[in-house]
Amino acid sequence: MGDDMITEGMLDMFIFETEQGLENLENICLDSKDVGEFDDDHVNEIFRIMHTIKGASAVMMYQNIATLSHKLEDVFYYIRESQPENIPHAELLDYIFEVSDFISGELEKIKEGNESDGNADDLIEQLDAYLKKIKGDTGSGNASEKPAAAPASAPAEKPHFYIAPVASEASRFYTIYITYAKDTEMANIKAYIAVNSLKRIAEDILFTPADIISNPESANVVLEFGFKIALQTTEGPDPIMELVSGSSGIEHVEINECTSDEFIAFCAEAEAPISSAGEVLMAPIEQPTILVESQKPQANASSEKPKGDSAKQETPAKETPAKKAPAKKKAAAKKSETQSFISVNIKKMDLLMDLIGELVIAQAVVLQNPDLKVPGLELSNFNKSAVQLSKITSELQDAIMAMRMMPLKNTFQKMNRIVYDTSKKLGKDIELEVIGEDTEVDKNIIEHISDPLMHLIRNSVDHGIESNEKRQELGKKEKGKIVLEAKNEGGQVWISVSDNGKGLKRDEILAKARANGLLDNRSEKDYTDKEVYNFITLPGFSTKKQVTEYSGRGVGMDVVVKNIQGVGGVLDIESEEGHGSTMTMKIPLTLAIIDGIIFSVAGTNFVTPTNAVTEFIRVTADQLIVEPDGEEYIMIRGDSCYPLIRLNQFYSIKNGKENIEDGIVIILNHEDRKIAIFADELEGEQEIVVKPIPNYIKKVKGISGCTQLGDGSISLILDTGGLL
Amino acid sequence: MGEEILDAQAREKEVPKKQFMTFRCCNEIYGISLENVSEIIGLTQYTSIPETEDYIMGLINLRGKVIPVIDVRIRFGKEALEYNDRTSVIVIQVKETIIGLIVDGIEGVADICTDDILPPPSVSNLRAQSQKYVYGIGKVNSEVKLLLDPDKLIHDAEEEEYEEQEEE
Repeated sequence: MGDDMITEGMLDMFIFETEQGLENLENICLDSKDVGEFDDDHVNEIFRIMHTIKGASAVMMYQNIATLSHKLEDVFYYIRESQPENIPHAELLDYIFEVSDFISGELEKIKEGNESDGNADDLIEQLDAYLKKIKGDTGSGNASEKPAAAPASAPAEKPHFYIAPVASEASRFYTIYITYAKDTEMANIKAYIAVNSLKRIAEDILFTPADIISNPESANVVLEFGFKIALQTTEGPDPIMELVSGSSGIEHVEINECTSDEFIAFCAEAEAPISSAGEVLMAPIEQPTILVESQKPQANASSEKPKGDSAKQETPAKETPAKKAPAKKKAAAKKSETQSFISVNIKKMDLLMDLIGELVIAQAVVLQNPDLKVPGLELSNFNKSAVQLSKITSELQDAIMAMRMMPLKNTFQKMNRIVYDTSKKLGKDIELEVIGEDTEVDKNIIEHISDPLMHLIRNSVDHGIESNEKRQELGKKEKGKIVLEAKNEGGQVWISVSDNGKGLKRDEILAKARANGLLDNRSEKDYTDKEVYNFITLPGFSTKKQVTEYSGRGVGMDVVVKNIQGVGGVLDIESEEGHGSTMTMKIPLTLAIIDGIIFSVAGTNFVTPTNAVTEFIRVTADQLIVEPDGEEYIMIRGDSCYPLIRLNQFYSIKNGKENIEDGIVIILNHEDRKIAIFADELEGEQEIVVKPIPNYIKKVKGISGCTQLGDGSISLILDTGGLL
Repeated sequence: MGEEILDAQAREKEVPKKQFMTFRCCNEIYGISLENVSEIIGLTQYTSIPETEDYIMGLINLRGKVIPVIDVRIRFGKEALEYNDRTSVIVIQVKETIIGLIVDGIEGVADICTDDILPPPSVSNLRAQSQKYVYGIGKVNSEVKLLLDPDKLIHDAEEEEYEEQEEE
């Protein structure tokens, strides 16, 4: 329902904000799980999160989410107000996680364009029961407080809100005038959030434009003319300020106390059709005025306002933009005090990244320009400038790289939740230690490692660590423990998951490998541990007899490895039977710009990442070993023997060098394997920007992409993994 | 009343005119709808890619964009010619795919009334491989231009069908 009025942008923001809220929520819960209770800050924070989600989802007409979050909000409202003791914390956490899961599930559906059709009734009932229970525990003296939080549940239909319109002696009247930054999205929703939060203290509240919920166009009205609220409450201006300024995008809040007559006058005007909303005046004000500004240079602006001069409202189109610009800067400046982040669309970042990549190449084109190679050219000044330019571009490159770097913190935090859930279900007592969560990795890579990491963690919890009883039996005193560690290691990031569980069983794996016909005619002893452990990364390989909810199907490790390889990384497995195992993902810091070695075969250039190259060597004919079946090997220094691939034959390139002594042999390594490649000539080294081969061209074996060289030509990137 | 209809028809006749980029290839003049043409460049150095179809000559660098180039001659099953300074690359975009067509030379842009575009003679009469990429024959004055279907030109799906038919 209501799809026509809900715009794409609104939906995006709803999803974004809700997801952030849920993430916060989970973090709070996980933080508190060892403490065993929520402190006041946590309770308030959770209450606020649920409140926001409730409001937003009600606006978006996701009633199931709204009612569910409302229910949880109720629970926390009760906890906050009555401070009951002895809340069953673990149970509460479970409920919170269930709520969070339900909402995330619905969000997924919404993201994919489906209806949010999940039914949360059971969960709501459980929450109800839980609420009753904690109330029962402390005596239900406070039950009467609860309804106060309730009336917000389905507000979407009501044009405006009269909440207990009783004027008492203590009542004070305010007009509140809120302006939003011009680029605020969905100002109407923000406005609604403000109203929603005010409702808690309001005896009576009215606002204009009144149709902020039902009419998305009102966002523009709010942006242009500001948002006006008339409020009757017993509270002073400070709490109002606090409530109102909670939501983002607010540029300016003005709270004026007024008389009840003015209040009524305002209400009467607010009843007028929206089209006149722009003309509605603020009630003239003689009472104390509270202006809340982010910064000072505002003297002229604030002197204008208290006059209540109608001119301001009548010509807002002309005046506001002029004022908005400095105001916007102020808002940004204010923000920087609290948090110095701006969120930028990832597409813009990618574009910048691409452009810098182009710049690096263009620079190479200029600096290696053939025109400069004319003999006798005086280039010393040129070279000086060239060095300067190179410095700047390389700094620029570092800067954009740094911008794309994100700490692994968020990813690691998710793992916390997984350990919590999985270990709980399996009845294992497991502790997760996180080390180096501030390690930074390219954003693109983070996206790719989240799933494999999750899988490794689950594996550790499920297979790695023994059940509590088993551990006791084995005399393992320490608690089951998983260490999740990230560190920088020579241009790579190593992310390791280690557990102190039972480790991998070499014999079992070998037996299974034999059964699957994976062993060749070597004796089992000849297999290194590494080779044996690598069997578990093959598709369909599982020694687990029982399939559990989490693992054991033998899919998974192969997917993990594939994902890691997808970002140019490798998985390293170490294990000690009976003492645990360590899985380490070794991943390059960034994918976009890499150092490459250029070599050519009959005029065709190839590039291979520098870190894949072990050595270059000129070999003599007697180092070449040819097997009867035509396979060739290179024997180097009498002890290492590598299979040889002649690129000209491999890719049927004509006119390549045939004599092994004429060309160059490049030893490439991939994971633990090494191969020798025979090429005609080495051309040089360059920083290269990896580009995909156009889709139009079918996948070529061993070619993973292409890049532009210094002379503007295109070179193919040789992928060692693909050659093997 | 009747006159009005005739008038309307006449007007309609005048409006539909399509513009075609025309080029020479194997002694014929071909046209490709201008909507698909992004630009024309001289043939620069290209990087050949192993293990691809013979008509895919390789990749060129178009201001930082990597695009494949195909030789229309070879695509039409004709002998490849040595490239010279007349050789041009027409960069076309078909849906998402951007591709360069290596042609013998550029003729110009032709306006062809849709009425003057005739369906090609049936396949059985024409053996030339180039015919299967032609969706129409356009007449400009006395000249005849073979109008290419860019989609068929760059994709192979149709080709297989034809091959099957030929086998029958």
